[in-house]
Amino acid sequence: MSLVHSPVLMFLVSIVAGFIGAMSGMGGGIVLIPALTLVGIPIKHAIAISIVSVIATSSGAASAYVRDGVTNLKVGMFLEMFTIVGAIVGAAVTIAAGSEILFLAFGLVLLFSWGTLFIRKHSDAHYNRPADRFTTWLEHHGSYYDHAAGETITYQGRRAYIGGPCMFGAGFIAGLLGIGAGALKVLILDLAMGLPPKVSTTTSNLIIGVTALAGTSVYIAAGYVDPGLAAPVILGVVPGALIGTRLLRRLSNRSIRNFFLVILFLLGIEMILRGLGFFGG
Amino acid sequence: MNASDHTSPPPVVPQTKEEIDERRMELMVGYLLLAGVIVSQVSLLFGLVLDYIEHGTIRLAYLIKGMNYFQFLIHDILALAGPHAWGARTFVNLGIALLMFTPFIRVVASVFFFLLEERNIKYTLFTFFVAAVLTYSLFLR
Repeated sequence: MSLVHSPVLMFLVSIVAGFIGAMSGMGGGIVLIPALTLVGIPIKHAIAISIVSVIATSSGAASAYVRDGVTNLKVGMFLEMFTIVGAIVGAAVTIAAGSEILFLAFGLVLLFSWGTLFIRKHSDAHYNRPADRFTTWLEHHGSYYDHAAGETITYQGRRAYIGGPCMFGAGFIAGLLGIGAGALKVLILDLAMGLPPKVSTTTSNLIIGVTALAGTSVYIAAGYVDPGLAAPVILGVVPGALIGTRLLRRLSNRSIRNFFLVILFLLGIEMILRGLGFFGG
Repeated sequence: MNASDHTSPPPVVPQTKEEIDERRMELMVGYLLLAGVIVSQVSLLFGLVLDYIEHGTIRLAYLIKGMNYFQFLIHDILALAGPHAWGARTFVNLGIALLMFTPFIRVVASVFFFLLEERNIKYTLFTFFVAAVLTYSLFLR
């Protein structure tokens, strides 16, 4: 295999991917995989490299969020039970699947993620409604200090019985496509479980690390991880994510969502076209 | 990166036993993740720099084939003990192994925290399940 690529280029692409991943709470993979396939890396290898780097992005960003007290650890740890099983199944499916299907699936998931960001822009705050008994039993409540708003936000989660099974699906997509699938996770945390946007974004980030690890194990076992290519990617993605994390904490919720719509949309279209056989697949 | 980022006081001051436990848990998880990422980054960077010194270019290209995570780790440790000790590839492998170990150890530490500190049976079982599935996945080959 002649995967000769400039480590410096890989490094630079990864910085950008990590930055966007942290800012959007979606993980670096959603930008990284289209970029890696554009420089000629086969999609299954791109997926495998990406999912290793997603561990780094997630852990790097999550370490800051968790210490800030924004992440809800109990919500995260409950949902991880579902995402990791989904990720293992998803990764196993990718290993058996054809490349065109993966391009197509990636493009569709990307556009769906795009859509969720757009829809959520219009949704109202809804995070102080009374909880059901199951969610109360799970202790899914908390409070955090919002730097942008300058006040402490208290919230009560709900409908964990919907959130859990949905997270299996998000984990499946993550393992299948080598991404964090943060948009799906945030959507579930936000709309189904009624958590505030910042709690959703940061808790999603925590879950992504463990989910990516489950997927990585499968890709390593299948021989799809190339450490020589993964190293510069991981080294780029983490500083990118750190910069993104620091900016995120100083921005209002709305500006986070608006920023990436155009880039994500174009990447999604590009992947679908490649899945359909344009650009030589 | 600069110290002024951390000058704001802890916003929600923990008061109840649950809140204090949660705060300690947050700090433990946060610093575990941070340490894991930093150590793995340093190892990866060192590996690439070593490769550059050895070959005048960064050109590591190889696949981890047919090994589970633990075999991969043992492979590294044996390489460290062998005559070709501390090669570029060893550091890169170690960096990836440490990166994978980071969320894993976070989950394992959480099991013990919920069991011993917070004495929360529910979450001890939840995190134990996650740890068990991850351990299984790391043994895949």
